[in-house]
Amino acid sequence: MYCDFLSVTYSESLATVYVDALCKELVLKSDGADRLETVYIGGGTPSMLSEECFIKLFQFMKRHFSFSSRPEITVEINPGTLDRSKSDMLRALGINRISIGAQSFDDGELASLGRSHRSSDTLTAINLLRASGFENISIDLIYGIPMQTLRGWKKTIAKTTELSLSHVSAYELTPAMNTKLYDHIKANLIALPDEQNILDMYHYTIERLTASRFQHYEISNFAMPDFRCAHNLNYWDRGQYAGIGAGAHSFLSGTRFKNTDNIRSYITCITSGTIPQSESAELNKSEHIKEHIFLGLRKREGLNIRGINLSDYPVVEACSEFFDSGFMEMDMDSIRLTGKGLPVANTIIVRIIEKLDLG
Amino acid sequence: MPKNIRNFSIIAHIDHGKSTLADRLLEFTGALSEREMSAQVLDSMELERERGITIKAHAVRLWYKDDSEHEYILNLIDTPGHVDFTYEVSRSLASCEGALLVVDASQGVEAQTLANTYLAIENNLEIIPVINKIDLPGADTEQTKKQIEDGIGINCSGAVFTSAKEGIGVQDVIDAVVNVIPPPSGSDDLPLKALIFDSWFDNYQGVIVLARLFDGIVKAGMKIRMMATHRVFEVSQVGVFTPKMLPVDQLSSGDVGYIIAGIKNVGDTKIGDTITDAVKPATEPCPGYKDIKPMVYCGLYPLSADQYESLRESLNKLRLNDSSFLFEPETSLALGFGFRCGFLGLLHMEIIKERLEREFSLSLLSTAPTVVYRVKGLDGTIDNIENPSLLPERYASIEEPFIIVTLFVPADFIGPVLEMCQEKRGIQKSFAYIGKDRIKLQYELPLNEMLWDFYDRLKSLTRGYASMDYEFIGFRTSDLVKLNILLNGESVDSLSLIVHRDKAYYRGKQLTEKLKDIIPRQLFDVAIQAAIGSKIIARETVKALKKDVTAKCYGGDITRKRKLLERQREGKKRMKQVGKVELPQEAFLAVLKLK
Repeated sequence: MYCDFLSVTYSESLATVYVDALCKELVLKSDGADRLETVYIGGGTPSMLSEECFIKLFQFMKRHFSFSSRPEITVEINPGTLDRSKSDMLRALGINRISIGAQSFDDGELASLGRSHRSSDTLTAINLLRASGFENISIDLIYGIPMQTLRGWKKTIAKTTELSLSHVSAYELTPAMNTKLYDHIKANLIALPDEQNILDMYHYTIERLTASRFQHYEISNFAMPDFRCAHNLNYWDRGQYAGIGAGAHSFLSGTRFKNTDNIRSYITCITSGTIPQSESAELNKSEHIKEHIFLGLRKREGLNIRGINLSDYPVVEACSEFFDSGFMEMDMDSIRLTGKGLPVANTIIVRIIEKLDLG
Repeated sequence: MPKNIRNFSIIAHIDHGKSTLADRLLEFTGALSEREMSAQVLDSMELERERGITIKAHAVRLWYKDDSEHEYILNLIDTPGHVDFTYEVSRSLASCEGALLVVDASQGVEAQTLANTYLAIENNLEIIPVINKIDLPGADTEQTKKQIEDGIGINCSGAVFTSAKEGIGVQDVIDAVVNVIPPPSGSDDLPLKALIFDSWFDNYQGVIVLARLFDGIVKAGMKIRMMATHRVFEVSQVGVFTPKMLPVDQLSSGDVGYIIAGIKNVGDTKIGDTITDAVKPATEPCPGYKDIKPMVYCGLYPLSADQYESLRESLNKLRLNDSSFLFEPETSLALGFGFRCGFLGLLHMEIIKERLEREFSLSLLSTAPTVVYRVKGLDGTIDNIENPSLLPERYASIEEPFIIVTLFVPADFIGPVLEMCQEKRGIQKSFAYIGKDRIKLQYELPLNEMLWDFYDRLKSLTRGYASMDYEFIGFRTSDLVKLNILLNGESVDSLSLIVHRDKAYYRGKQLTEKLKDIIPRQLFDVAIQAAIGSKIIARETVKALKKDVTAKCYGGDITRKRKLLERQREGKKRMKQVGKVELPQEAFLAVLKLK
């Protein structure tokens, strides 16, 4: 209803062929690499996949790749799509991190988001996963839901802190274009909470979760010590990654790629041995620098300015107005946004890009 | 010999068919084959064609042989078609013995037609009414005749009925030109006396002057003198436009043609000046010469400082062709280095701005236009102030330019138009019915008030059915004050304006409200204040931006996010940084949107 992830109606026969194609693409994209640091199965509802499909995929990965000593292997699940048998199976396959699309612990808010689950489903899922031996459980939350109040959000956060989770992602609702919610807001049928309310929710989240030992390590992400999401940190650190599947994005050798969104043409192409790229862009120098800046500044620890890439640019000078006004701070190696700067990161980043004349 | 020459102009309101009729005359006399006719050849500049107006006057020589094999030379002198160019029009008309008064039979007489017809009458021209567009379903020839007779006072018994578009009545027009318009008087034996009615710069030949010879002859090798500027040049070529350039051995009394004389600067060939023989000069110049001064000024600034030099070069190039436009360097605290430019009027200003942006690919920021103020200092000295920010804190008195505006308004819309004229400090000078449902109004009002959306409002109040013309009548003392705009306490010189004291509070309030809508939210509150001297009279605040951060940015979002930031960066290129505040271009024009 608010999300623009690629989604098609589930069918077992399509899923089977699709998983075969995923396996093929893994080999095509590996380009001699044989070691996996992190695996993330997500976007949409992968927990819908049958046990057979999961087993096939993971057995294939284990046959063709080795894992690092402490791999992070995450599967996204939606509450209500998990039973004990699937939970045990996921655990047995070596999956060690689960991200649950909880969104809210208020059933009214879940309904206005158009979710089919209730908050009790989330609690059930967490219990099932714990029983299967999962220790690293993350939940996704959404704030800024139509009709939501700060009080409602406080209840969701309070519930969150009771669950001994290792990780929380809390996102402001941003209705994507061409979704029902987006259209309703445009047509004034539904109103989002006002800006100040949303900002209060954000600051409350940071305050409350950090008080419960969570570390705020990225704009929307919180983790217990040692439980930061290694897979996502790799995006913000601009490490390489291979995205497998229809509509998946990759970043390899300084080039960003995207696979076609069309599942059938994806399967056809992969089966015939080619990767169906729909977009591919080799980044030029200024694009690399821009990415470093806007991705690095998402992290609370900030952007390392001693890194080889930035040393040619007067980054500190470009940020000086923000140090003076308290939107940013710096130490020996890094510059970062402060609590005051985080909510207006875009304006700050555009200004830095302007000052560095990166076009 | 001059007996067979007829010099004439066409007077018409925009869209009443002047250019089409001119094309028909060219076609009819064989000056151009049908194949060579691009529609409306006389309006050669792209911009003119787009706006449907003629900026530069041209003169075309047509040859015509009547039924009894008498040959005639018909010189058609095209005139600029906008109120800002009244003086140029008057000089073109002064070069003729007659004029065709073209009136659209479905629209009737308009303000500009009237003003130009009066100019023609002042210059003793024989006027032939031409009632055009008779093929249109809405054509009312009787009513149009009546309007011409009652409204302008011209006898319509000899009127010609045409449809230039359909080619109807062209022979009748030619016959009238030959039979009604008198041939030029004057003598080849007297010293040279030629009136300059147009000039422009050509990259290969230098300045080309269009002139009407009243007495004497001119040919290559002659030394000529400009009687107002006293400059002397040697003629290298004379000729006529057919409309292609055709060199001839000599131009003699009664002729219209071009003169090339190694002139580098159009400023040396002022419209209305008289060319004479340097060796055997005329005793008196042609009457009516005026040194025309710009009345409307604005600041033009490059959006990026590195375009300053190319702006200067482009202004120089435009000035080569247009001596009525002035510029000089100016520095603004808010906008940096730019130029203060002077124009004949608002349209002239817009044309120059558009040409700079289009032909020279410049991105410009222009400040709100202002008139010239005549300020008498405490010591009695008189200063012309073209930039409100330069108005001194103390002075003895201040005068502003006044104009007389002539409006033609359908009776149905008269109420709101009277109200607007009142509001704009107008003093009614006349009110008269023209025909049964239109009113001719004349108001004296400050030129400054014309700059404040007068024309746009007139159009919208009358659904486009009103027309207007204006003329400068002199400077008058007014009770004016300088209104300063402050952003976060700092005065922004390019936003200051001079207003009548009675309107200062109202304008200050409106302007701060407008700016509040225009200025985007920034990382801090922006206080917008209007002040007279040190007294704050209005205040608005643009509250600080609270949040714009993107919640999610994972592997699949990065490219989209980068492009989004790049688009935002691109958008900021149209902004000017004033102190810490970023101002969009519209802020500098906000003043124009005030009522």
